[in-house]
Amino acid sequence: MKKAIIVMNELKREGLIKDYAIGGAIGALKWVEPFFTRDLDIFIILIKEPENGEVIMLSPLYEYLKKRGYNKWVEQWIIIDDVPVELIPAEGVSKESVENALEVEFEGVRTKVMRPEYLIALFLKAGRDKDIRKIEMLLKQTKIDMEKLKDILRRYDLLKKFKRFMKEGQNGR
Amino acid sequence: MEDEKIRILTKDNKVMTLKKLFEEKERLRKEQANLSFEKKIRALIILQRIASSWGGKKDVIVWKL
Repeated sequence: MKKAIIVMNELKREGLIKDYAIGGAIGALKWVEPFFTRDLDIFIILIKEPENGEVIMLSPLYEYLKKRGYNKWVEQWIIIDDVPVELIPAEGVSKESVENALEVEFEGVRTKVMRPEYLIALFLKAGRDKDIRKIEMLLKQTKIDMEKLKDILRRYDLLKKFKRFMKEGQNGR
Repeated sequence: MEDEKIRILTKDNKVMTLKKLFEEKERLRKEQANLSFEKKIRALIILQRIASSWGGKKDVIVWKL
């Protein structure tokens, strides 16, 4: 995983992306007990933000990776040193999550990981069973700033969904 | 039977209720949540190895740290 982080830092340094942060399952893993997952979700803020309806072009990033020798794909993942990586353009709540991500070190390399309040919002938005399980883990196993969480949920119209989850989701599963 | 009434014999001949056992498991989970990021990724790699070999999930890619 260290190599994948080094490559992401290179993309930023080379000016191919504005910023990035680790999200998804590995983002959650920073805050909760270890659990199984297959891939590394990396949310990226592009240099030029796409206008409404514009097709997002990730090809310059893939071209760069190809030049660096990373040209193997498995389904939607590009393989960087045996780690399947998914690059996800950040917008809305995910963009704010990247901007407010926590700077951490992994094996001596600087990187950014999304904070738990934002991860909850993103998992809630996705809403699959596996996302809901991660929300439960985050709520139980790490300290959540509930005021901050509610503020995020309110601004991205997710508060009702969260209240429904708190009422039915946790006990109903 | 309720979890509070079910008693089990654990290591060192310690008797505990099923309720207590679940509470202990929860406590351990919280403890593991405080491990370093590196240690968690190492644990994930072990889980991927288990899924790939013992679990028969041949499509699982075992990461490099």
